[in-house]
Amino acid sequence: MTADLNLPSEVEAVFREFRTCEMTTLSKDGTPITWPVEPYYQPDKGQFFVATSIGLAQKWHNVRRNSNMSLLYSNPISSGLAEPPAVLVQGNAHASDEIFTSFTGDLEELGRQVASRQPAAELYSNSPLMRYLFDWYYMRLVIYFTPHRILWWDHSDFNLKPHEMEVCHVD
Amino acid sequence: MWTEIVKEMAGFSTAVLTSVDASGYPFSIRCKTNPDSVAQVLRVQMPESVQFRPGPAGLLCHQHDESLWNLKSMTLRGLLEQDDQGWFFRPLKYTPGAGIGSLPAMVKFVLEGRRNTKHFLNKRHLPRPVIAWDTIHAIWAEIHGKGQ
Repeated sequence: MTADLNLPSEVEAVFREFRTCEMTTLSKDGTPITWPVEPYYQPDKGQFFVATSIGLAQKWHNVRRNSNMSLLYSNPISSGLAEPPAVLVQGNAHASDEIFTSFTGDLEELGRQVASRQPAAELYSNSPLMRYLFDWYYMRLVIYFTPHRILWWDHSDFNLKPHEMEVCHVD
Repeated sequence: MWTEIVKEMAGFSTAVLTSVDASGYPFSIRCKTNPDSVAQVLRVQMPESVQFRPGPAGLLCHQHDESLWNLKSMTLRGLLEQDDQGWFFRPLKYTPGAGIGSLPAMVKFVLEGRRNTKHFLNKRHLPRPVIAWDTIHAIWAEIHGKGQ
């Protein structure tokens, strides 16, 4: 499936440059649960993905039960963008069954992004002791996220009326 | 729980409030909240541009520095409600995240992660995977220009 998101440049810049976003899934009782995550944006596929450890798999369990999900980009720290919009993406998730244990495939680019943006995270893999304690952190499940509705607030001012676009996907 | 929520939330200037919209999807905004210690709820400065519905809701506070480090976060589950003073969030469950609780919290994080991992694998009758550390080290070396 592909999608020409045809996004305004300021929205696409947010997807490229923001370091984190707030990912929400729905729990069994319908309560929204939000986590800070480091997403990876794939503009050529019109989708995003998030990787999570099997030791922190609640969000993966949630989207397998209910695929409705959202990403809010509202923390511009370190993005280098001046007065960027805040962007909310609503859509549906697909949780992969595969457990990734290497930085290959889709995770290779995510790994590069993390190594570049979060240099201190090398701590979790740079000694035998840390590799023993944190091997579980590198057993990764991937959640692919396809947007169907995008809203954004100029200057991240939530008092302004948001812009809104629907996303059409082509099989 | 309430005392700890107020204490920790004081370290964050804003929070991400999420509810579920009419179409069944999560809907989030970033907003300011003020503790109402009499009612033990968080009063929400709700922007006029959005229309929330009362019901199950969540609050996330998180922050990091310029190098995506010194992470700090906390999560609340609860209810979004409305009265004559406006919107408020009633916390029902508090989950401290990264950066809250110092060393004991870090030990708990590691132990819980290992326990959850064992449970995940056992439930699916899977052997414990071996991490391909070489691929991870290669990327760190490539980005930071050093050998491992």
